[in-house]
Amino acid sequence: MTLRFAVDTGGTFTDLVVAGADGSRSMHKVATTPSDPIGGVIGSLRAAAEAAGEPFGDYLKRGSMLVHGTTHAINAIVTGNTARTAFLTTLGHPDILVFREGGRMEPFNFTVEYPEPYVPKALTFEVPERVMVDGSVRLPLDEEAVEQILHRLAAGKVQAIAVCLLWSIVNPVHELAVGALIERHLPGVPYTLSHKVNPSIREFRRAASTCMDASLKPIMGTYMRNLEGRLRAEGFEGRVLVVTSQGGVMDAGNAAETPVHLINSGPSMAPVAARAYGGAETTLIVGDTGGTTFDVSVVRRGRIPRTRETWLGQRFRSHMTGMPSVDVRSIGAGGGSIAWVDAGGLLHVGPRSAGAVPGPACYGRGGANPTVTDAALLLGFIDAEFFLGGRMHLDRDAAAASVQRAVAGPLGCSLDDAATAILDLATEHMVQAIFDITVNQGIDPTGAAFVAGGGAAGLNCVAIGRRLGCRTVIVPETGAALSAAGALLSELSAHQQAMFYSNSAAFDRDGVNAVLERLEAQCRQFAAGPGAGALESSVDWVAEARYPDQAWEIEVPLRAPRFASADDVAALAADFHAAHQDVFAVSDPHSAVEAVGWSAEVRCRVASGDPGRLAAAADGRTALPSRRVRFASGWCDAPVHRFETLPDGAEIFGPAMVESGFTSIVLDPGTRAVRDALGSLMIEVTL
Amino acid sequence: MSQPPSETKRIDGIRLAVLTARFEGIARKMANTLQRTGRSGILTIARDFSCVILTAKHDLLATAESLPIHVLRGPDIMARTMAENHPVLRRGDAFLHNSPYHGCTHPADHSILIPVMDDDGVHRFTVLAKGHQADAGNSLPTTYMGAAKDVYAEGALIFPAVRIQQNYQHVMDIVRMCQLRIRVPEQWWGDYLAILGAARIGEREMLAFGREVGWDLLESYTSEWFDYSERRMSDVIRAMPAGRVTASATHDPFPGTPPEGVTINVAVEVKPDAALIEVDLRDNPDSMPNGLNLSEACALSAPMTAIFNSIDHTVPKNAGSFRRIKVHLRDGCIAGRPVHPTSCSVATTNIADRVANPVQRAMADLGDGYGMAETGAVIPPSTGVISGTHNGTPFVNEVYIGYSGGAAAPTTDAWLTIMHVGNAGMCYEDSIEVDELRHPLLVHARRLVQDSEGAGRTRGAPGVFAEFSPVGCEMTVAYVSDGNLNGAKGARGGGEGGKSSQFRRHADGMLEPVPGCAEVVIGPDQAMVSVSCGGGGYGVPSARDPARVAHDVREGWVSAARARDVYRVALAADGAVDAAATAALRAATVTETAA
Repeated sequence: MTLRFAVDTGGTFTDLVVAGADGSRSMHKVATTPSDPIGGVIGSLRAAAEAAGEPFGDYLKRGSMLVHGTTHAINAIVTGNTARTAFLTTLGHPDILVFREGGRMEPFNFTVEYPEPYVPKALTFEVPERVMVDGSVRLPLDEEAVEQILHRLAAGKVQAIAVCLLWSIVNPVHELAVGALIERHLPGVPYTLSHKVNPSIREFRRAASTCMDASLKPIMGTYMRNLEGRLRAEGFEGRVLVVTSQGGVMDAGNAAETPVHLINSGPSMAPVAARAYGGAETTLIVGDTGGTTFDVSVVRRGRIPRTRETWLGQRFRSHMTGMPSVDVRSIGAGGGSIAWVDAGGLLHVGPRSAGAVPGPACYGRGGANPTVTDAALLLGFIDAEFFLGGRMHLDRDAAAASVQRAVAGPLGCSLDDAATAILDLATEHMVQAIFDITVNQGIDPTGAAFVAGGGAAGLNCVAIGRRLGCRTVIVPETGAALSAAGALLSELSAHQQAMFYSNSAAFDRDGVNAVLERLEAQCRQFAAGPGAGALESSVDWVAEARYPDQAWEIEVPLRAPRFASADDVAALAADFHAAHQDVFAVSDPHSAVEAVGWSAEVRCRVASGDPGRLAAAADGRTALPSRRVRFASGWCDAPVHRFETLPDGAEIFGPAMVESGFTSIVLDPGTRAVRDALGSLMIEVTL
Repeated sequence: MSQPPSETKRIDGIRLAVLTARFEGIARKMANTLQRTGRSGILTIARDFSCVILTAKHDLLATAESLPIHVLRGPDIMARTMAENHPVLRRGDAFLHNSPYHGCTHPADHSILIPVMDDDGVHRFTVLAKGHQADAGNSLPTTYMGAAKDVYAEGALIFPAVRIQQNYQHVMDIVRMCQLRIRVPEQWWGDYLAILGAARIGEREMLAFGREVGWDLLESYTSEWFDYSERRMSDVIRAMPAGRVTASATHDPFPGTPPEGVTINVAVEVKPDAALIEVDLRDNPDSMPNGLNLSEACALSAPMTAIFNSIDHTVPKNAGSFRRIKVHLRDGCIAGRPVHPTSCSVATTNIADRVANPVQRAMADLGDGYGMAETGAVIPPSTGVISGTHNGTPFVNEVYIGYSGGAAAPTTDAWLTIMHVGNAGMCYEDSIEVDELRHPLLVHARRLVQDSEGAGRTRGAPGVFAEFSPVGCEMTVAYVSDGNLNGAKGARGGGEGGKSSQFRRHADGMLEPVPGCAEVVIGPDQAMVSVSCGGGGYGVPSARDPARVAHDVREGWVSAARARDVYRVALAADGAVDAAATAALRAATVTETAA
């Protein structure tokens, strides 16, 4: 019987979900090994083989496919372990990466350093050339000057080269010529051309993607080779795929050639899993609560929105990737978020985190600061004896001492009230992060369902749902490893895009159709190449459109891949007005519409989209002893149910706790929960 | 806090945090709507707008991430004007306000105020969205009329809180007046809808919020939040050194100013015992026959911006913390309360910067660790208003092609892209490709100017060189570039930032200097050349960490010669710090100073 594996390497845990040929799933968690993340991947597979009682090599041999989500690329950037990269830019514009796009947060905070450019100016070189907005060449490329630059790069031991020239997206002739010169004079040095990796307007964003891509090529090439090599050495013979920032997967070998796609590899899969559990009919808000961050994403009636504004850290203070990626917002709130009280008596929770080391005070590893996890322990939300299924024992006294010292004491309140306040404030921060990605884009949370993923999600998912006005909260049975569960369901995909301006008032049908035809040919090529043998393949068409003079486009799905008549153009305009109304609560239906970009995403399904079911827990325990839990109404004795052995259709009324070997779910009084046919806990929240 | 914590304080700490997050979330949502739906580049690309929430008593409550000069003071006066001019407020009302005589910054900042009326018709809060217009109907195609001798020469329509929506319907009379006066009226209409939409979103959210938690709770929250903010401010001031410092800054000579320019005097007094900071601006010239005069909003906001820049940034900025600041103004003063028909066309930048900058430098004089150096002056041609007609289609917009100007802080080098002190770097810099797509424009160059940073223990931002031409037409560039003669001063021994300059480049390459305040017509074979100001440094340059100097040299911000002469750092051939030679250089500096 063949197996499919999905491994998601996170900061604290490496999650593995295994799918059997019959659709059954098993879930495994091992500690991440930061010094050797591939070791963690292998370790998780070894744990699964042990659980299955099979020799490791035999078990791996049954694998037809392994999908990997990795933070290796983003970690390499954050820790400065990327290649020594040079940036070649148009003459007169050496500071594109220095100026960025302006913008700043916290207007009165002058204690934060201005960020260094992604590539230092010492490795930035101006290329004599200039292409104009219409593609005409104003200043021809000075090839001799480029050759001199390349000689200096060789002398300077440069390991990768990024080339981003103004308007290469309209006429790439100069970028292509520079690429040819690199191949001739510096053969073997990896390089990236901006019009290929990110053909979109706005030179800073394109330059940023180009530089990140080039700088990651050596390290991610090595990582992918090692991943495949070590899996093969252990006996794995199947296909190795990696998760992309756009929520698809690609072959590990191809990913190594455009590693910028792997920057947001991890969290992009949570909405894919959520869609499988929550369905495509309603809008889903997906929260993934880990140790340090809370990642929020959205599924709008089956569609997963994308953004081009992906920052590696805080807005304006970190690097922007400039690449389209699944719109996932992260805030510093999670089980490890630290609580403290400022000089004026105001409580704060996060964004500082105790991390995995030293961890919350209750871990007993030397952490002195109270965290959300400590507060949850004091409220009875977590069982000190059954944390992670009993694999770890928690120190309640240490939690109490830290909350007393840092919060209850300064606020002059009881320990219970302090713990409740910590959870409440963490909930409020998460709710605001959800508002940023929903309400601000015209999504009404009251009409949506909240899908709770991540190991710490159960602590306040009902509280979040109530605060959002969501009547339904869904905790999938694989929720604790939501991204890995999603990776098993993802499709091979490639995103093709082109710039071409046209106004609905004087629409250039032939011009647009020619662009769409070119994109379609690229899609066909992908489907016949990496996508060969897929169960099915499809293409999603999108126009990036705006009102005249607007600066920001919104994505409008196309009804057909060509514009056959004026009616099709009118339909695009009508769809745009509706989308604008939907997102911004205003529209201007008498105005013309400008389309500036076109994209086609080809998706090839390599496995069933059915999320499958987890096999029952091995130890067969159905219930755990009831315990004291503090809800808003006060302390009460709450029954504790075992998630894994809860039969389908079983109905539970709060106050109650539902616990698995991976998570602990708080059901407040007044809630009703039912286990559905997909194994999810469907919680009805009373508002 | 020395007093024992009380039971009420516990409720405060928790409730304050949660409700504050809600209010800030609403203000952020207003801002997001405005940016995404506006039409002109100045709103949607540069983000030159602000969104705030005020109480029914017109106290500033939440500002999201607005421009300091837009919002610290002024929204309170505008909201009061709305209530006084319209004793009966109804749900569905919206008011257009841009009068600098009634709390608005300057006429270019069209603001929409909406009273939030509860279901019983009680005025509970006011939401305000304010955006800088691409054009405001001035007599020349620019929103910065530096040379306008009065409001009549300026020419913009002035709206002192005029009802522009009633029962959620546009008052089309007002709209039609705007459309007949403002250039590129479709662009204005789109921007008006965006600003109105932002305010309406704020209203809708506030109504839902009030219904959910109760208006009385929100009212007691606001008073608790103001008290908390005042406590935080008091604590900060009580820990500061006492003292009174006077400082001055001089604006370059412009049309309508004396030939030596305008010197602004500020007196800053920190009174820890009274937990109060006072700023006196009364010792300044009378209003002048030009557009430089400050509005009351700017005269109050500029020194307060400098004060908040100079202290613990976590103190909330609202009517509560404002109780611990007193700004003394004089009627009819260039940095005071203007009397109609004084023009305040460029009130947010030029003189306002010459008020804020010496205040933060004076704060630095009180003690190391306080205050900041001066931020570079503006508005150079590279952030001016461009206009013209291309293929029969008129265009007008402010562009943000190149700016920097950041001032050094006590422990941090300048944030590069601050633009000017009242902006705080909140605006965005244009993408050259987007500018070239939207306008008949070719940007030849945008780069930092080496050695133009104010040197110091922490250094200021270098200035920016920008060169751009029209494509296939003539283009007027309107700007008001202060700082040609008076650079940004350093604090506590820090150096001055590079000065601004501007030129017309002729077809043969010749550079012709052009005035600091002008509307220059650039031909299709010519180019506008703009050099913007650098920011001042903080602390003596020879105290700067040599490794950071080496880094600045490696990155081309500072030359090796300047490293040696100004920072007293010697570098080896490979760019590394020569520690022994540096020690010798710095020892010699100490001897020179002693001598």
